[in-house]
Amino acid sequence: MILSILLLSTLGYSPSDSVASPARSIDEVVVVSARAEGAQRSPKGITASIDEHLSVFRNVNLVRRGAYAWEPVVNNMATERVSTTIDGMKIFYACTDKMDPVTSYVESANLQSISLNSGLNGNPQSTGNIGGSVDLKLRKAGFGNGFNAGASKGFETNGNVQVYEADAAWSGERFYVNGGLSYRRADNYKEGGGRVVDFSQFRKVNAFSNTGLRLSNGGVLEHTLIYDRASDVGYPALNMDVSKAEAVITSLSYRHTFSDSWLEAWDTKGYYNHITHIMDDTKRPDVEIHMDMPGKSSTAGLYSLLTASTDVHQLQLNYDLYYNRLFADMTMYPGGAAPMYMVTWPDVGTLNTGAALTDVVTLGRGQSLRLSAKVAQQWQKLNDEEGYHALRVFFPGMKDSYYQTTGRVAAQYAWESSKVRLTAGAGWGSRAPTVTEAYGYYLNNTFDQYDYIGNPRLKNESATEVNASVRWQPGGGLTLTADANAFLFSNYIIGQFERRLSAMTVGAEGVKVYGNLSHATIINTSVEADWQLSRSLRWHGRLTWASGRDDENDPLPLISPVAYRTGIDFSAGRWTAQVLVEGNGTQTHFGEKYGETRTDAYTVAGLNGQYHIPLKTSSLTLRAGVENLFDKRYTSYSDWRDIPQKGRNVYASLVWTL
Amino acid sequence: MKKEFVFVLLAFLTLGLVSCNSNDDAKGIVIDGIDLSDDVDCCSAEEALQVYKFLQTVKIVPELSTVVDNKYNVFAYTRTGTFHKGYNDIYFVATKRSSGNYVRNFEIKNVTPLMYMVKMNMSHSTPVSPVFDQFDDSRPALRHGWISFLMNTSDAGYWNLSYDVDVLGTSDKVSNVSIDVNALPEGQDWLKNFKLGDDTYFLSLVNADKFATGTNEISVYVSRKNNPITIPYGLADKTFTIEIDPRMPDMGNHTSPGNTTLTRQDDGSYKGVINLTMTGLWRIHLTVKDADGNVVAGGDDLKDGYSSLYWDVTL
Repeated sequence: MILSILLLSTLGYSPSDSVASPARSIDEVVVVSARAEGAQRSPKGITASIDEHLSVFRNVNLVRRGAYAWEPVVNNMATERVSTTIDGMKIFYACTDKMDPVTSYVESANLQSISLNSGLNGNPQSTGNIGGSVDLKLRKAGFGNGFNAGASKGFETNGNVQVYEADAAWSGERFYVNGGLSYRRADNYKEGGGRVVDFSQFRKVNAFSNTGLRLSNGGVLEHTLIYDRASDVGYPALNMDVSKAEAVITSLSYRHTFSDSWLEAWDTKGYYNHITHIMDDTKRPDVEIHMDMPGKSSTAGLYSLLTASTDVHQLQLNYDLYYNRLFADMTMYPGGAAPMYMVTWPDVGTLNTGAALTDVVTLGRGQSLRLSAKVAQQWQKLNDEEGYHALRVFFPGMKDSYYQTTGRVAAQYAWESSKVRLTAGAGWGSRAPTVTEAYGYYLNNTFDQYDYIGNPRLKNESATEVNASVRWQPGGGLTLTADANAFLFSNYIIGQFERRLSAMTVGAEGVKVYGNLSHATIINTSVEADWQLSRSLRWHGRLTWASGRDDENDPLPLISPVAYRTGIDFSAGRWTAQVLVEGNGTQTHFGEKYGETRTDAYTVAGLNGQYHIPLKTSSLTLRAGVENLFDKRYTSYSDWRDIPQKGRNVYASLVWTL
Repeated sequence: MKKEFVFVLLAFLTLGLVSCNSNDDAKGIVIDGIDLSDDVDCCSAEEALQVYKFLQTVKIVPELSTVVDNKYNVFAYTRTGTFHKGYNDIYFVATKRSSGNYVRNFEIKNVTPLMYMVKMNMSHSTPVSPVFDQFDDSRPALRHGWISFLMNTSDAGYWNLSYDVDVLGTSDKVSNVSIDVNALPEGQDWLKNFKLGDDTYFLSLVNADKFATGTNEISVYVSRKNNPITIPYGLADKTFTIEIDPRMPDMGNHTSPGNTTLTRQDDGSYKGVINLTMTGLWRIHLTVKDADGNVVAGGDDLKDGYSSLYWDVTL
């Protein structure tokens, strides 16, 4: 594993008061904000969707159920094994069908960057992060930057995508406020070859504000607010669409900075977020039974993070506490007959509290050690009687409350010389079953066409991780990197056939109940080359290979086949341009046992360019590009039910910044 | 605004006082319209309160009330104050007209529902509980029994009901009172029959109206058609087992796990466990076996693969 450490010091929007995470403990960062330069970013810039920004990460794949709200998969592990936080805040999706990964409730304009920690070496607030932890860093104006404003407009031909965004910041020495509005819409897109993919449209509005106040004692009070609402969202891979997915995300924090002390800062944040998710099948033809499936998720929490540093140590001590409530139900209306009602998430209250310690130890002579550990306790209570009684049909001895303890510990050693950097790490961590895995009730999974029932008797899943990486810079502008990690699971949680049970959903193949596999293994490897051929020309290529095996050595589902990506970047003056070719090999080891089908190989090509125009007091950035240049019809392994990807797409965007 | 607040406050205070009063009077129970002074024939204050509370949960069937010897009132109750097709619980009390208190010892006998079939110009009875006896120990003044009506009242026929009552040695007869038996709503069918040899048996589902999502006890009576058919049908002499297979026809015949076979209990009823995974229409397909395990009814495969003998319950 490589630590691609990207310092954010060049960001116009990032004074020290607002950037809490020391970059040295982060594996990978993608910059979102319009003003940041010199880091990994989407070629579409700020008008890219969050999903497109996430796709830039080496360790991230995205499960697509449509054109909107893709589910990030880190190290070939999806939501259950990945922690996603917004500025350290916990937030949980509200759709039993995973239509709304929490990354869908923010907009690019809200964010300054997205940071990713691979594997168990998670950020202090993360829990259950076996695969990794993603933190979405909010874009705060900070102090002392005067007045700033920006506006951007993006356009894409395929699906008639329109993106509008405007923001402004006023930033004094004692007070700052910044905020913005975004609107994003798309019609149905066309797959390669030109056929329209029905129900792939979406609309999304988003507003955000951040406010900071420096108190007389030097402390800083900050408030953040995000309102996000998606409507008329189509999910071509599913049987239903979404009429409304709405989130309010807010926090109030206090940061005390220590001067003349080995203590650096003490951040304490209280937060609350609420998600309402309403599915809708009224626009679909041939609906056998009309259904209403609303879901709600609300989370209140706090964390308190103390950072300290000496010449040798860079310490973070964190305490966090959150309470989440998850409720979802389903009402089916068979024509004329009585409606059928069931509680699919039985109003589960989860109280989780944990303490974490991370330390980056500088050992001298280019050596360093990164350590992290966390212990968390969790209480869960099923608050809905009807849902509880329904689950008791399947688990007669179950209780309405559960307690779990989870933890993780990880260490990574790094040695760096002028030409070589080596890392080696190991860790162990566990996670509690998710609400779906423990208490979900007849959740139909269109991937394998099975109804899933949660299992309150599940054991915690745990994994031992080992990782290593080597980076070699032999000179001549060439950088070669290889890295690998392996996760050895115990009690791996996955849906298992339960042939004694009868399916509920019309057309479902049967029922699966979540169970523990005694062991499973996931391995991720990649090799990368980066060659700065001249000042203006750079070639880069990447090849990744992964493997996932269950306890019978059969392939796990949703594991990436061989994937590659290569490109040539050209830059001269105000111009940058890129040719990109990427693709997947044939998915030969697919999870047949788990209902997965083989996905064929594909290769697609793209072009993009950027031109920067400085004006008197402001500047314009023009970006344009073509995706899927040859209009190839293809599907990747992570396209739910093999829905085809976009065909040729020409996009352009104009960004104005003051 | 202020006035409103004061009013609300007063309302709460008053409520508080009232509820305090009733608590304080736990020994000196007061029931509106009942003189609870000592009477060996009647309930103690505590017993009367228990009966009174129970009667708040059911409704009177006015056409079945009677006055015995001008000294006693007899009232009949059902859950809704009416009857419906299939199984109905019926409760009786007798009160002293002088005090209004409930009489402890009285008998309800010979409860005889009769349906007159217009076209055929004949009458038949229906399954009725063998006895109307004391409901439970804490309510000695309450009699309980049941009638399972084969059909609802319609142009094809109508129902009359007769019963005898004996209150403290004084007898009376209620004869041929016309009663209405309502049809059940669509998706509810709680009474089925099958033939075995020359006999016809009736399967009355007792507690369908109490089913809820989750695990439920299921209770059934098996009655046998009488000869002559004008005499109420008593419980079957033969012992059966009843296997249940609950299905949701609207959901591709989805079923639930863990259902158990109904077996005969000491009280003559059949009991088992039924699991219902959601609300909606459940079709409970039946296989009835005799004591030797031979299938005597149901258990056949219709076009959809399920038994033709079934109850429908919609929750």
